[in-house]
Amino acid sequence: MDKSLQTQTKLKSSSRPSLWRGIVENQWFLLLIVVFIISLITGYVNPRYFMQQNLFNILEQISVLGLVAAGATILIISGNFDISVGSMIGLSACIMSILINQGLNEFLVGVIGVLVCVVCSTLNGVLSVAFRTPSFIISLAMTGVYHGIALAITEGVIQTIYGKFEFIASTRLFGFFPLLFFISILGYLFVHFILKYTQIGRRIFAIGNNPRAAFLAGISVPLNTILFFFLNGILVGMASVLILSRLGAALPSTGAGLELRAIGAVVIGGVPITGGRGNVLGTFLGVLLMGVISNSLNMMRVNPYFQEVAYGLLIIFAVAISSIRYRWLGSK
Amino acid sequence: MEEKIKILSLNNITKNFPGTRALDNVSFDLYAGEIHCLVGENGAGKSTLIKILSGAEKPDQGEIVLFGKSYRQLTTRQAIDLKIATIYQDVDLVDSLTVADNIFLGVELRDRFGKVDTQKQERIAQEIMNKLNIHIDPRLLVEELSPAQKQILQLIKALHREARILVMDEPTSSLGIEETKALLELVRNLAAQGIGIIYISHYLQEVTQIGDRITVLKDGKTVSTYHKSQFTIEQLIRDMVGREAALFYHKEQVQIGDVGLKVENYSRKGLVKNVSFDVRKGEIFGLGGMVGSGRTELVNLIFGVDKRDSGELYLDGKRITPNSPRQAIQNGVCLITEDRKGSGIFPIRSVKENMALVHNEQKRSWFIRLPREKQIVGNIVDALKIQLASIEQDINSLSGGNQQKSILGRWLLTQADVFIFDEPTKGVDIGSKEEIYKIMTDLCRQQKCIIMISSDMPELISMSDRIGVMRDGELVAIINARETSEEELLRVYLGYHNSKEAGRKNGQVSTDSN
Repeated sequence: MDKSLQTQTKLKSSSRPSLWRGIVENQWFLLLIVVFIISLITGYVNPRYFMQQNLFNILEQISVLGLVAAGATILIISGNFDISVGSMIGLSACIMSILINQGLNEFLVGVIGVLVCVVCSTLNGVLSVAFRTPSFIISLAMTGVYHGIALAITEGVIQTIYGKFEFIASTRLFGFFPLLFFISILGYLFVHFILKYTQIGRRIFAIGNNPRAAFLAGISVPLNTILFFFLNGILVGMASVLILSRLGAALPSTGAGLELRAIGAVVIGGVPITGGRGNVLGTFLGVLLMGVISNSLNMMRVNPYFQEVAYGLLIIFAVAISSIRYRWLGSK
Repeated sequence: MEEKIKILSLNNITKNFPGTRALDNVSFDLYAGEIHCLVGENGAGKSTLIKILSGAEKPDQGEIVLFGKSYRQLTTRQAIDLKIATIYQDVDLVDSLTVADNIFLGVELRDRFGKVDTQKQERIAQEIMNKLNIHIDPRLLVEELSPAQKQILQLIKALHREARILVMDEPTSSLGIEETKALLELVRNLAAQGIGIIYISHYLQEVTQIGDRITVLKDGKTVSTYHKSQFTIEQLIRDMVGREAALFYHKEQVQIGDVGLKVENYSRKGLVKNVSFDVRKGEIFGLGGMVGSGRTELVNLIFGVDKRDSGELYLDGKRITPNSPRQAIQNGVCLITEDRKGSGIFPIRSVKENMALVHNEQKRSWFIRLPREKQIVGNIVDALKIQLASIEQDINSLSGGNQQKSILGRWLLTQADVFIFDEPTKGVDIGSKEEIYKIMTDLCRQQKCIIMISSDMPELISMSDRIGVMRDGELVAIINARETSEEELLRVYLGYHNSKEAGRKNGQVSTDSN
């Protein structure tokens, strides 16, 4: 009885054309193809696209988003959201700028910047757990709180740091490889390691897939949820240091919109919005695709306002692919 | 005698679920103005039958004739259009709306401006209730009503929608004596107005009071149908049980040791009342009782899932009373839940992760040694003969039986001392069933303590050493499994043992004491 059932499903799925199966089952493969095609088209229209300078530019541009998206990968797989990361980055960048201008040691300032984000993100987790409210709602509310604090301490005035942090953004390893992107890669590896090789990683998947079953298997859902937010805070904190270094100045609105782009990248990378599944390679390709599209549109001199439209359509496209995928694979 | 119009007949309905035949060639009919009662053990097929009637399940074979028209199957929409109303135990009313609003939900009366005409609705609601001699203020919020009033409100709602067939599933299980009386009165009243009523209850006393006809279901088959005053309670109980010996599993006898687990005075308000028992090493302690008798609630308390009002747990004389599943697991207690999909598996994670999860949690390490994990899981997959293509495949691509074996494997890996099984073979095919029994016997041989809830009587009798019977949250009896029969067990479930008096009364006293 069992056996016949299994062979049935096997027959059913293997009757699909294998190339299509490959594409539908591996979102990363599809993403890679899309990145490739877009690059070819852009390179054809504007040969400057393939110049080394431009390619490294793309990598540099996606570094900050990459760190935020790596953090969002943890949260979304575990069934959580933090949409206050944009304003968190704004707050952290403003605090760092003010401290730098007061003459504090740069390294110390960086640590404080990361800590600010860790505290904010952890607080989101604690509130969500304490009031048994979806983290989406809590972080929506906290967006205003963090942004408001940033406005209050800067009085809305731009905080220039006069090139103090610049070395991070301007350093090229071995004379060509952007340090920013290297840090971003470390972020991805960190998340990959957690998801694949640690106890916490297993809990991220378990809680995201079935919190009730996780509870009955002896996993403390509240404590671990807070821990996930803590990890997210570290990555967001690093992103805030990088963004300040790139911009050389901070505003309360610095980083605004990053949260949605990060969630978009994670979804494009194949993590279902309901959680429980996914990996960081998908997120990386999602981020890369966003960077490539943005750069291509610049290269082809498309009105920058249309970039937002492109991002939106891209997310719809990605969701459509996963929906088709689940209908095909989930129909067993 | 007035002429009777047949409004419903189900002809030769068959319905299969993976591993079981829920309904086997069942025929059932209903006349206008008739109260036709349906009785049977847990899992006899009552719920499946009413689900087919309400459009929630599609029959594999057979015909549904409603008001002279024949259907192969019904959709929920059709069932509503045909005025079939099903009233479940778990009341589906909107708590935050008033009584009147609930009656008119979806068919609201509007005034000239298109606004809901609350006053008119309340007036009409009042009229309906006056006619039926019911006193509920139509302006009250439903959340302020008692369980009995909610049941009555559901009836009124169905009546207002001009239901022609009313299906009631255990409507009195949470009601007291007076309330039950009032409800039965109302049901009779509705039948007198020409509504056909299908009434399901395991309180046989009630059934004998109001049924015009009674049909007994067993293992998905109709055993008998009696007309009023043609049957006795004795007869009904005999019909509900009695199976071929082939359905009984021959469990190997295992040496039983000293008392291992002691359950003392477990209580939770309204659900579990002061339950104590002990389980010896190598023993399977069965827990029987009708659905809703508090069995699952009891084991959830023991495992630390829900907050208890009182109770202590001892293992080998040491107090280990857990306050959370985590603590329970740390102390060597594990629970295999009934609701595999909802609270057992992680459906879109691999078999490997599903099985290794608790084992990994028990280690104090932050990291997972993947090769070691793979080896451990591989071994237990072989030992339990779980059929799969790869341990990396999603667990929800396995059959029910293999999923259940994987979950068992998860807990076997933890080296627990106490295993609590809640319906271990539900939705499992026969082959896997037998293998699960073998695993349980093995656990006995290793001198583990086992508690097993089962609604499958042959399983309960053949696997258990002793059977604790729950009724209305109380542990009413502990029976030696080797000296009992299905019939005797069912009598205890229903409260018809020793005396001919209604078991209803026993239940009642304790309900009142809440």
